[in-house]
Amino acid sequence: MIFLRRQLPLLITMITGLLFAGQYYVPHPSSELLLTSATKWLQIIGGFALVLGITSLFHQHAVKIRRQEAGWGYSLVLYAGMLVTLAAGALAKGKESLDGAMTGFGWVYSFMLVPLQGTMFAILAFFIASAAYRSFRARSREAAVLLVAAVIVMMGRVPLGEYLIPLSGDVSQWILNVLNASVRRAILIGVSLGAIALSFKIIFGVERSYLGGGKE
Amino acid sequence: MTLSERMLKIDRRIIFLVIGLCTLLPLLYPVGLPIKISPEVRSIYEYIESLPERSVFLLSIDFDPASKPELHPQAIALLRHAFRKNLRVVAMTLWVSGTGMADQLLTQVAQEMGKEDGKDYVFLGWSSGGTAVIISMGQDLYKAFPSDYGGKATKGIPVLEGVQSLKDVAYAISLGAGNPGVEAWYVFGKDKYKFELGGGCTGVIAPGLYPLLRSGQINGLIGGLRGAAEYESLVGQKGRAVAGMDAQSATHFAIIVLVAICNLFYFSLRQQQGRSRQS
Repeated sequence: MIFLRRQLPLLITMITGLLFAGQYYVPHPSSELLLTSATKWLQIIGGFALVLGITSLFHQHAVKIRRQEAGWGYSLVLYAGMLVTLAAGALAKGKESLDGAMTGFGWVYSFMLVPLQGTMFAILAFFIASAAYRSFRARSREAAVLLVAAVIVMMGRVPLGEYLIPLSGDVSQWILNVLNASVRRAILIGVSLGAIALSFKIIFGVERSYLGGGKE
Repeated sequence: MTLSERMLKIDRRIIFLVIGLCTLLPLLYPVGLPIKISPEVRSIYEYIESLPERSVFLLSIDFDPASKPELHPQAIALLRHAFRKNLRVVAMTLWVSGTGMADQLLTQVAQEMGKEDGKDYVFLGWSSGGTAVIISMGQDLYKAFPSDYGGKATKGIPVLEGVQSLKDVAYAISLGAGNPGVEAWYVFGKDKYKFELGGGCTGVIAPGLYPLLRSGQINGLIGGLRGAAEYESLVGQKGRAVAGMDAQSATHFAIIVLVAICNLFYFSLRQQQGRSRQS
């Protein structure tokens, strides 16, 4: 059984890892065909992940409602929302409109999901302003530099700033293109090197936590 | 409690009111300040301008309604430009919750520009798999999307004539609000299948995409509402983004003033505390 639980997954990981790392550099038709089949598999697995996610969400909230845990009312709203949307979607065959007429699913999407998500995002502006007032203070030299840079970029990114201080647009562009880009690039290179190292560790079976269990 | 202490602990509802007014008033009474076009937005516009008629233009609408205020105007301006240039538009999304919105906006702009579904444009919809969809499209577009959003088989649709995979796309733009988005299109798409790629994104994630821009991994970037307003100005059809720029100007300035006030009182408080410690 240890072979099925440990060695076989490690073997599959190693073979597929090496195969697809090599595949990238081999433009032969059979290599391309292999990639086509693998991506189709990935799409199918992605579909299953969606089903798994929904099932898990349903299960988690069903338990919360049954036990009447704190905030179970919200779970009930979530349950009702999901069921109504699923029913509306199934009736409308997943289409927002049929023959030019809006379906029930389309109504849920346009008049519930769109405004709700928009509202959530819009609220951020108010909280960002409040948080900026409370925490954006020049407590140290580093914080002062960050503060000045932020003010310049905020001015340079809006027409009023460029109108009042014409140079702010160019300075803001320079901060984004030079200072920001170079720091981001350094972080990206670091993260990528880490990802490559981790991939090698997974491929060669050094890193095994993805198998679960935690014990040999 | 001193004035500085009271000001630093100001009721957050006052700040909310200031931001609310700064958003609302410019929308009601627009000023219409001129918008300067940045090089990264202009390069996308110029690339589309340089494409020959009936070239294949792929627009991946990778956002959901939460990012609609910033990315919707970008999509509308880009589609207007592409249709005006008589390009073949292939639209899709990698975000399932953005499917309905993407369909609505494509249909709306196509109707406005007098374009025909299947002949001038196609909406492929959404397919599961996230970034794997990009690889799948790079291998065989018809396997990734056997049918379009309306359920019609993609093979044989006139707008896709001569298109087998991403290699046949002249220009692709991802309007991304996160992952999968612009970065995924570069890593899994452009790098392997060698098509030109541009990006559009929310203002929050734009700074993170500048390394891709500077290295030429994307040829242009439309960042946030400001980018959308710039593109609307370039296309010559001012819309919601241009209208929203005054509100954005006012809110940015309100935040700058608030931060300045907060620092003023912070230093005043520190000075007071220093003095009281000395005495």
